[in-house]
Amino acid sequence: MAPLRLVPHRGRSRQSAGGPDEAALVHLVSSITAPLGGDDLELHIRVGPGAALELRGVAATLALPGQHPGGSRALVEVELAEGASLEYLPEPTVITSRACHEAVFRARIAEDARLRTREILVLGRLNERAGLLSTTLDVRRNGPVIKQTSHLGTPEVDRSPAGLVGRRVLGTELLCWGEDLPGAVSEDWWSLVPLARGGSLTTAVADDAVTVERALNVARSKHPGSAALLTRSRTRFRAPDHTESHGSGGGHHRAGGFASGGKPVPSLDR
Amino acid sequence: MNLAALMIADSRFPGGGHVHSGGLEEAVARKLVTDERSLRSFLVGRLRTAGALSAVFASAATRGRYAELDAEFDARTPSPAQRNASRVQGRGIARAAKRAWPSPVLTELLRVTPRPHHPVIVGALVGDPFEAAQTVAYHAVTGPATGAIRLLGLDPFGVNAILAHLAPEIDAVAATAADHADTAPEDLPAPSAPGLDLLAEAHDRHHSEEVRLFVS
Repeated sequence: MAPLRLVPHRGRSRQSAGGPDEAALVHLVSSITAPLGGDDLELHIRVGPGAALELRGVAATLALPGQHPGGSRALVEVELAEGASLEYLPEPTVITSRACHEAVFRARIAEDARLRTREILVLGRLNERAGLLSTTLDVRRNGPVIKQTSHLGTPEVDRSPAGLVGRRVLGTELLCWGEDLPGAVSEDWWSLVPLARGGSLTTAVADDAVTVERALNVARSKHPGSAALLTRSRTRFRAPDHTESHGSGGGHHRAGGFASGGKPVPSLDR
Repeated sequence: MNLAALMIADSRFPGGGHVHSGGLEEAVARKLVTDERSLRSFLVGRLRTAGALSAVFASAATRGRYAELDAEFDARTPSPAQRNASRVQGRGIARAAKRAWPSPVLTELLRVTPRPHHPVIVGALVGDPFEAAQTVAYHAVTGPATGAIRLLGLDPFGVNAILAHLAPEIDAVAATAADHADTAPEDLPAPSAPGLDLLAEAHDRHHSEEVRLFVS
């Protein structure tokens, strides 16, 4: 049973499909409960020269403990070629009690590629103590753009004003999307900051995911690239029926997608 | 511990560190830190996040590779206010060190990075991975701790005891960091500090609008 299905969005055909500013839309659909303790999930995404891909989650992810010791891992590995763009927008991840999950988002992108990635982490379900999560954002474009690992689920740090300030939800959004603002924009509980070597990061904390999402949206609206992000239409593209990632239950799962410029964009299992 | 490490850790060292509160002033302004208990929580969180990051880079800088470390520390410090605070303090140490400890290592560091990040120059000057890490981990908490005495009028003896009781945690952070002395710069750990990032940017915003005691 595959843990994740990549479902291309197939709507009515459009006359202008395939234009330069239109992105292929693929939904990430969990088909079983994952990640569970013992799971190793991998998703490899390559976007070819000039192609644009939007990967969206459809439901929150629950990180749960399993029968296997050693926690769970999820790796998303991204390669963006020249002129490629990717928006990776999963729904929130909830770290349930006793879960022990490690997530890594690693992207290697060409100089003029564009990347937007969002992560919303929720410490436990309502009135539930959180399990342990470490999540790494690691993006390089001819040198490091950002690398940071958030360790959540340690009460001493979660409660500290240096950590999560006692809030339950942490949101981050990285934009490597053309020009950045020359300086930071911030409110008390979110900030949009220009990174040292290009790209911008929004950080937000709140007691609920809705507030964090709203803060990320407000921050994004301040970014010079937001116009392109908000108005771009979505290409519907033809593809075989939904593709499934391969996997053998409880073991090591991989899924992959490959998009290339100017052609319909099938998802390929790798 | 070698004398350079002791001198750099000393609050009387003329490196300009005394004007930085490491986010504490903003935390006090928001009433997130009001007493010894909340100060301890702030310090523990700071030590395990920004302190751990600094410790790793101080340890790695004992092996050179200054340009790479500079870029990698930048990538692990999203907040421009914090990057600037680190470079300003690094520059302050450089000014003192050029007179106190002139050496080919220091010359090389300042040639590659004229405004070095704080942990990188401390690592270059101290030389020993554990002691360099320990020095910057201690620095990560001692600045905010003395800031709390000035901003909140906390009992200096109580605050001093909090610092003393953090010793095992500081040493644990330093020991972990020392294990990374030979790690490739791009593979070095990158602990985030979302709270400190937000406090640093807010402090920066308020600093230009109203009178603040500390620069960061």
